[in-house]
Amino acid sequence: MSYIEVNNLVKDYKINVKKRGILGSMQSLLIPEYKMIRAVDDISFSIKKGEMVGFIGPNGAGKSTTVKMLTGILMPTSGNIITGGLSPHSDRKKNAARIGAVFGQRTQLWWDLPAEDTFDLLRYVYKMPEKKFKANMETFNELLGLNEFISKPVRQLSLGQRMRADIAASLIHDPEIVFFDEPTIGLDVVAKQKVRDFVRHMNKEKNITMLFTTHDMGDIEKTCDRMLIIDKGKIIYDGTPDDIKKKYAKYRTLIIDFVEKQSGIEIPGVEVCEDKGNKVQFRFIKDEVSAQELISSLTKKYEISDFTLQEADIENVIREIYEGGIKCDENLCGVC
Amino acid sequence: MDKQKMFTIPELTKLFFVHTKLIAKTTLEYKFHRSLISVAIFCREMISIVTMYLIMIRFVSIKGWDMNEMLFLYSFLFISYSLFVFVFAGIRDFDAMVQSGELDRFLLRPLGLIYQVIASRADFSATLGHGAVGVILLIKTAGSVGIEWNLRNTLAYIAVILGGTVIQASLFMVSSCFSFWTVNTTNLRNLVFFNARRFAAYPLSFYPGVIRYLLIFLLPFAFVNYFPSLYFLNKPEVSILGGWIPYLTPVVGAVLFFLVYTFWKFGLKHYSSVGN
Amino acid sequence: MRTYVEFAKKAIQNNIVYRVNSYAGIINTIVMIFVNIAIWRAIYEEEATLEGLQFRLVITYIVLSFLMQSIFVMDEYLIQYKVRSGSISTDMLRPISFLGYVFSHNIGVMLFRIIIQLTPALLVAIFFVKILPPFSPLIALYFAISVLLGYLVLYSINLVVWLTSFWYFEIFSFITIKDAAVMILSGALLPIWFMPNWLYNLVQITPFGSIYSVPISIYLGQLPETEIYTKILLQIIWIIVFQVIGRLLWHCAQKRIVVQGG
Ligand SMILES: Nc1ncnc2c1ncn2[C@@H]1O[C@H](COP(=O)(O)OP(=O)(O)O)[C@@H](O)[C@H]1O
Ligand SMILES: [Mg+2]
Repeated sequence: MSYIEVNNLVKDYKINVKKRGILGSMQSLLIPEYKMIRAVDDISFSIKKGEMVGFIGPNGAGKSTTVKMLTGILMPTSGNIITGGLSPHSDRKKNAARIGAVFGQRTQLWWDLPAEDTFDLLRYVYKMPEKKFKANMETFNELLGLNEFISKPVRQLSLGQRMRADIAASLIHDPEIVFFDEPTIGLDVVAKQKVRDFVRHMNKEKNITMLFTTHDMGDIEKTCDRMLIIDKGKIIYDGTPDDIKKKYAKYRTLIIDFVEKQSGIEIPGVEVCEDKGNKVQFRFIKDEVSAQELISSLTKKYEISDFTLQEADIENVIREIYEGGIKCDENLCGVC
Repeated sequence: MDKQKMFTIPELTKLFFVHTKLIAKTTLEYKFHRSLISVAIFCREMISIVTMYLIMIRFVSIKGWDMNEMLFLYSFLFISYSLFVFVFAGIRDFDAMVQSGELDRFLLRPLGLIYQVIASRADFSATLGHGAVGVILLIKTAGSVGIEWNLRNTLAYIAVILGGTVIQASLFMVSSCFSFWTVNTTNLRNLVFFNARRFAAYPLSFYPGVIRYLLIFLLPFAFVNYFPSLYFLNKPEVSILGGWIPYLTPVVGAVLFFLVYTFWKFGLKHYSSVGN
Repeated sequence: MRTYVEFAKKAIQNNIVYRVNSYAGIINTIVMIFVNIAIWRAIYEEEATLEGLQFRLVITYIVLSFLMQSIFVMDEYLIQYKVRSGSISTDMLRPISFLGYVFSHNIGVMLFRIIIQLTPALLVAIFFVKILPPFSPLIALYFAISVLLGYLVLYSINLVVWLTSFWYFEIFSFITIKDAAVMILSGALLPIWFMPNWLYNLVQITPFGSIYSVPISIYLGQLPETEIYTKILLQIIWIIVFQVIGRLLWHCAQKRIVVQGG
């Protein structure tokens, strides 16, 4: 039973090509030149009710564009979207009553007024009964600590406080689906954690379907059961965060501080990937070489002052996927 | 469920005033600054009044129009514009809304787009600045140009002001439609609107035929002030339509708004949002 | 010097980028000229002197005024922008004069206006409106000098207004009120000989008259030679007065930046 269904979605933007120099700008003044760029390139996926999906990709990958089409802001160039039986763009108003959206780089709060004024307005916008509104505000206050800052003008809030208020504003009307577009951007570690916890909580408690875009892998690992990786407008991975780790995070790194400068260490199955005299990094496949044996064989031969063992980091794995270092495996990726 | 989500007229009106209350609150946050803007707008608008005044004290009457009649003609532009920036400031600021991404936010709400654009803005400073000029001109001239302010004329006057407001809103909306395609249209709008308004400051009969037709059929400022003034001032030109002239203004306003709104909807299909 | 030329070039480019704006600016000027001609035509038609010298003098006055207005356009919000964005502090660390930068930027804006706006408007003015030629070649030279000085008077007055950005966050109101004063008291709106005495005298004694009415009166040959010299001298005096005020303000502003860190 899929709740959000996306088929062969494409979005092209028409952009104005600017020429350089005085002559160039004169030329584009007289004969403007346009170019089409494909921001989203034929993507398909479906999301079940209550699912929490992470949408990760580098800047310019097409995440925001996808979210804008899913929320009905933009009309797709081609392809179709159904969310809960409605088309977001052509049934915009009906659809809007059931969705919420948070855009991390923008705010929906009135800048010069306290956030409570925006909430008050939203109550009328979504035609909420007073009781329901009060109850929701109560919950949000408990989970997000809104009362600390709700009566201060929004322009005076810290980014973290503003984001908490923004998230509450998008959830005030009990939406069935919520889209987050980089809600943790620019936040410090503590604020990020608060946002992640809250999102996770709302997903579990209220069974809200959620799509969460980010370029921070930490967000996905902490919150999502499923992730889509998008790059250059195409979905290149669709699966769980764990799968990708198991499959591609084969390597471990051992960093050793030698007491004396060493060179020319050669161990079968182990690659020296950085050699800074006293400090040497070894990389090896974890199923083939045991870290313990490696360390003990090294301590036997050399005098060692310190060592660190690093597990493969999913962030690096993803970076390698973007850079084309890892080719996605057909049976792992739903869509390649 | 669907019925419950539809908005009724009283609900929309209530929501409109909730917006207005918040806008007023914002304005009061910067009381001194906003008042200074009102003063500035008043001074700016006085430039063209002073010009007219100086010409009229020198030449007394031009083509049958004396000073008070001219200023009465001009007053319509200010009073209806003042109402326009109170009610329809959102249409004026549409460009900025597109660029700041505010439009995206409106598209996420279960309300009509044009409703939100209109409700979310009111420019109190401009309302005051233009309103002050208009009211001063009206007070100075209303008694001395020979208008009998009976019920009939008062109703006609109100119809003209409301119609004139909608006509100006429609003209502004034409240029805001272009912001679905190009980014900066401020000067294009100045071109469409303020130039037409410049012409409209003086009686249409001063201009060559082309410009007259332009102001009647294309940018119908003639209905904002010239035709109504002919009626109120009992000019010989009114005989063709007589008493119905003032009511042409709201009719033209409604037709124009409908046409522009169709174009606007078409433009919206081409909306491509803004990048980050 | 090269640096400042680069600033001017950059200003020209920035202006070109706004395509729609450029086209519209040309039409704005032309429309303004036509509205005014229509009004003056209506006046002179009644007096049946459309062919007379009076009418052509008036038209020439009005057209010159609008052509000058269309190139005396400056980037009024540059300093405010610099102050608000805080980039003023980095600008002050650079080995250039900030006021020099503002000036060259505005010269760029004016050059852009001359290329894009003045040329077409001038063609219209000469072929369709038939303005009077300058009184004599020598007068044309005086006119050119006086226009340049008029620009500098306006620039210097503007600079004083712009520098208030350091004390007040939004100078739209000041700029607008200044513009109203300039328009009404500079003789830009209608020929000064039609003004009532009190206003005529105000135009003479305030600095604003030096911006538009002085160069135009010279062009029309309405000033005897000795008076041309005094008027030009007066323009120079006003430039000096406002430049001094501007520098003083700038001096105080710099102290403010140092104290508040921009
Ligand atoms: N409104 C727009 N007009 C033109 N191009 C755009 C617009 N929005 C985004 N783009 C372009 O589309 C591509 C995808 O952008 P976006 O969806 O914002 O990516 P992401 O959110 O993943 O960073 C980028 O190349 C971007 O420059
Ligand atoms: Mg994005």
